[in-house]
Amino acid sequence: MGMKISVRQICFILIMYTAVSKFIVYPTVLSHYSGRDLLFSALADFAVQAVIVWAVSFLCSRTDKTFFALLEGTFGNITARIIFGLFALFFIVCAVIPLFEQKVYVHAIFYDALPALSVFLPFFGFAVYAAAKGFQNIGRCADICLPIFIVSMLFIFAMSISEIKWDNFLPVLKTPAKNVLGASVLTAFRFFEPCWLLMFMGHFKYKKGDAAKITLSYAGGALIVLLFLAAFYGMYGDMAVTRQFAVSKISLFFPAIDLIGRIDLIALYVLEIVMLFAMIINVQLCVYCISKCTGYKNKTVISIALNAALIIMLILLDNKLSALITIWSKWMWIAFVLFANVIPLLAWTLRRREKK
Amino acid sequence: MVTLEKNIKSVKDVLTSQDIIVFKFDSLNGRKFAVIYADGLADKQLLGELVVKPLKDAEKDAELGTVKKLLASPEIKDGTKISDAIKEISDGNAALFVDGEKDFIIIGLKNPPGRTVAEPPTQVVVKGPREGFTEDIKTNLGLVRKRLKSENLKVKMLKAGKKSETAVALVYIDGVCPDGLPERVEKQIEKNEIDIIPDSSYVAHFISKKPRSLFKRNGTSEKPDIFCAKICEGRVGLIVDGSPISLTVPYMITEDLQSGEDYYSLTYRATIVRILRVLSLLVGIFLPALYVSAQLFKIQIIPFQLLLKISSSVSGLPLSPSVEMFLTLFILEVLIEASIRMPNYVGLAMSVVGALVLGDTAVKAGIISTPAIIIVAFSAICLYTTPDLVETTTALRWIYLIVAGSIGPFGVVLLTAFILCYLVTEQSYGIPLMAPFAPLIKNDLYDSMVKANMYTLKNRPKVFKTKDRVRLKTQSGE
Repeated sequence: MGMKISVRQICFILIMYTAVSKFIVYPTVLSHYSGRDLLFSALADFAVQAVIVWAVSFLCSRTDKTFFALLEGTFGNITARIIFGLFALFFIVCAVIPLFEQKVYVHAIFYDALPALSVFLPFFGFAVYAAAKGFQNIGRCADICLPIFIVSMLFIFAMSISEIKWDNFLPVLKTPAKNVLGASVLTAFRFFEPCWLLMFMGHFKYKKGDAAKITLSYAGGALIVLLFLAAFYGMYGDMAVTRQFAVSKISLFFPAIDLIGRIDLIALYVLEIVMLFAMIINVQLCVYCISKCTGYKNKTVISIALNAALIIMLILLDNKLSALITIWSKWMWIAFVLFANVIPLLAWTLRRREKK
Repeated sequence: MVTLEKNIKSVKDVLTSQDIIVFKFDSLNGRKFAVIYADGLADKQLLGELVVKPLKDAEKDAELGTVKKLLASPEIKDGTKISDAIKEISDGNAALFVDGEKDFIIIGLKNPPGRTVAEPPTQVVVKGPREGFTEDIKTNLGLVRKRLKSENLKVKMLKAGKKSETAVALVYIDGVCPDGLPERVEKQIEKNEIDIIPDSSYVAHFISKKPRSLFKRNGTSEKPDIFCAKICEGRVGLIVDGSPISLTVPYMITEDLQSGEDYYSLTYRATIVRILRVLSLLVGIFLPALYVSAQLFKIQIIPFQLLLKISSSVSGLPLSPSVEMFLTLFILEVLIEASIRMPNYVGLAMSVVGALVLGDTAVKAGIISTPAIIIVAFSAICLYTTPDLVETTTALRWIYLIVAGSIGPFGVVLLTAFILCYLVTEQSYGIPLMAPFAPLIKNDLYDSMVKANMYTLKNRPKVFKTKDRVRLKTQSGE
């Protein structure tokens, strides 16, 4: 079987998409719950996920089968299809909050006056096209996004670094542990990267040491998020809880902006390309799961149906982002723990043939 | 016995045009001959020197074999069917008939009118070879052979066009070119039947698997040095008779960001110029769109002082920013088109009309603002830094402008993501268009945006998966 995605591309995905998917509302929410100790909350979340990522990538070294094939080999075809159906639902759930966040973020950074919903709807034109693409496309998009990500992030960080006040983090660890860990649990629904890896399983050629590479890449993505959180909180301190769309705020006070205009917006526009690909990956994987579940091969049709459903959801729940975040953080985190953490670990118990 | 007249009649019955000349002559001993050729295509001087003059000594009863020996032409072959004679005459060669002989001799006298080898106007260099391809396939093949003397250089002659029967030379280096690639290209050409191939761009459509795409699938070059270099990397080249533009496949977009001169100048300079080209390309495509979307949707992008200038320029304009930009771009495209088509002697008047009447007066009249003209002019200059991509990039600039005017900056970002998503999986004969960036091929990056030293580029591009990978062997350590 031709390998559709490479380990390098998976590493890029884990570095970039992990990072950019946590740049919009996540820092503000963490600041609210953990205050100056937000880095520890994030660290706790990332540490747990890194272990799962390592476990899944290590599982890849033990088998050359896909996750579907493993399920099929253990429980039979019908059960495998049902589980993939559940994963399809899970990926939709994963896509909802980023989608709603993107909608308001796009409105904030791209437009001054137009209604948020109408300006965001063209996104689904892109989503229909991209979601119908396979793993090869996901991998190559990650390749092409890497220079875009590096350039835009360097630009944003360079514009923000001089404004960071490190004493905003002092005194360290004075926030009650309950709040710090509570914040980790309440933001757990933003962590689903191990599931991506589970879906990529069997579609890439594992070589010795790849598990370490993949885990380190995830750690790299985590490090970027931590640096970003540090920059964000270091700049705003206690005011951070009032600053939504963190990524658009950290380069705001660059001294030269008065002279050169908000050129940081250009960097944000460039970074938005990576954000779009990061957001679409859940929809792409959902299409893959539905295709596996139903056996229906025409991904374009699935993609159209899926995006139509997302549009309807977006229209019906317009302006309900905070309510959705509350529901997701209070209830849906269980689903996230189950699908993104427990099932990937349980995948070790599946019957797997020895690697040839 | 077949008479000379009968043979001549057989040919003239088919080739009835008056420019098909029948030249009859006798040897000193009385043997009768007739040469039939197309006026203007065959070389009459050669005919006299290589055919008529030697045959003056022919004996009265000389047979076809003896006649053939007397001919001084290096390019002769026997002919038996009149249809072959007709084909060769149409192609520019001459058919020699001998009285009393059924068979005839084809003499290669083809010398169609054409220009001499000159520097191509589309690929001018300061440093490097200045020879360019002409419209004559033989000259072009000669220019290639002059540079590639390898025995492994293979040239396969094909015919394309039902009526034109245009010669197409498929050129590759055996052992370097991936297996099966020349056959695939050949098959792709043969699959298409068309009346006439006036230019290589027709063949470019045939060899493209997606001819309707905005993005081309083949490289082009007017210069034999670039053509040969591409062949040596493992590509297949196509030279089409009647066209000075050669084609190469597989194609990657990075090829068009490179210039032949990059390889003849300092690597640092080449790298800087390449980065400059990429930036120019991005500015050329995005600047008009960003300007319009900033004015319409997000004015904060523009620096305050500049904003004041712009607002003073655009105040009182009767047109919206997008319509204004659209109009300015339209004028620019018309000027470019007219300046290419117009005779040279109208050029000066054209410049005056374009620059002064349309530009200055339109601004003074308050129809178009100065920033719009500056942006459009700069965008046009930027796009011409990569002339091979101009067809695509100018179309993209229009599309981006429409999207920016209607959807705004988010539309511009979405369209970019869409194009990237489309391009990353597109291929030209199995080679990704976006290589070596997507998929990322580390070794090939040294000759993409950057131009590394020759010693770093010891191997041919990895993406082509050539059999013979090494292109530079050194005896020293370096």
